[in-house]
Amino acid sequence: MVDISDEYPNQQKNRSHRWLEIAVPFFSFGGAFIAILFPILGIPLDFHVPAMGCVLASCFLAYLAWIRPRKDIVALTTPIYSVIFFSFPIDYSTALVLQVLYAVSLTLMLVRLKYRFGTPGTAASLGKELGGTLKTYIEQTRDAFGDISPEAAHRAAVIFVRFAEGNYDDAIQSSKDILNDGENPDYVSPLIRAFSIIQEHLTINNQSLPHPVTYLKFSENDTPLLAKPTVPADDEDMEFYTALDNALLLLYSVAWNKSERDRAHLLVCQAFAQKLMSST
Amino acid sequence: MKIGNIEVKISIVAIAVFVFFTLFLLLASVFSPEVRSQLMWLIPMLFMLLVIPVSLNYMSRSQYADILPRYEADAKTIRIKMINESMVGKPVRFEGVVERVHFQFLNRPQYRVADRSGEISVKMFTSSDENVKVNDVVEVIGQVIRRYIVAGDPVVNCVSIRKIKKS
Repeated sequence: MVDISDEYPNQQKNRSHRWLEIAVPFFSFGGAFIAILFPILGIPLDFHVPAMGCVLASCFLAYLAWIRPRKDIVALTTPIYSVIFFSFPIDYSTALVLQVLYAVSLTLMLVRLKYRFGTPGTAASLGKELGGTLKTYIEQTRDAFGDISPEAAHRAAVIFVRFAEGNYDDAIQSSKDILNDGENPDYVSPLIRAFSIIQEHLTINNQSLPHPVTYLKFSENDTPLLAKPTVPADDEDMEFYTALDNALLLLYSVAWNKSERDRAHLLVCQAFAQKLMSST
Repeated sequence: MKIGNIEVKISIVAIAVFVFFTLFLLLASVFSPEVRSQLMWLIPMLFMLLVIPVSLNYMSRSQYADILPRYEADAKTIRIKMINESMVGKPVRFEGVVERVHFQFLNRPQYRVADRSGEISVKMFTSSDENVKVNDVVEVIGQVIRRYIVAGDPVVNCVSIRKIKKS
């Protein structure tokens, strides 16, 4: 079984994001403060100058929204609003009230962004490298597939990607071709079982057949290679679908470890693989 | 209201707008002779506030009715957790329980549908055939799209959502 391990984000990036978060209220309220201070000191000031603080703060907020895996469209569009609000000539006192209200709303949106839209994306969540429990699983199973050739691993990658893309007909054909190779020494038993389980599920799906009473499963000897624990036999539905998840993740691990040329395609499907890892 | 084979629905917002401007026009015509002299084109304009939303709803629903058979033929039945970014553009079919409903009053309903494997947002750009409520067990047929067209997590652009009875 795979031990769950946490993903640790890059600490330097974290610090720069923190500074940006502080910059949002700093620049927006700072601009309003300057707009109040200068008239008190008797220094004439065009209201567009302190308003730039709000525009800058909007850009920082939009950047913080952009780097998150889940996008907040409201925060992303604040620079457009700031330009619309502050580019037209208006009375100084009206502009001051508008700046203060805008600074308050930017700060509230920052709080909302932090608590509803999660943490900024890491290289893993942005699909640039493996991360999370998937990375842990792949590293733990790296040495388990010693005898598998790159060609066999490539075929595993093809089936996984086609499954992820919903090209089930192509995936069925590919797995049939592999299983017809039968006694090919390139394929170790767990891999053959994985292909067979996937083919069974795809055939059932394709023909809209009901969930079968008896179905293919991994053997007990395969347990160290599986990403998810086997489910108690009394929950047949979960056992049936967990076998498919384990089969797909096994293919992903084989493909990643033994076929470097397919890693770019596997990274594109990483979010799907992570979902398989973390779902029940 | 049926036009041909298409069940047409008008949103409560469109009705409210029509009622508001009807009352406004009535009051205006009582107090202003200028308004009374323009009634010949103001009244037809007022009815356009109902006709236009009805026409748009009819056009969108008839278009959905036309494409539904193709989606029913092409869509594969899957579990919700199988839907991912790589499937954008693919037709899908799944069953689940409705957990949330938004914007039904705008004839642009959005649902949160869940099965044992996960949950997903289902967006419809016209009114649905049936009055789907929270806790209804439904079958959804639609296309996987990105939430914000070019970015965002995958959601389902629903072509059909209908209640099913689970035994």
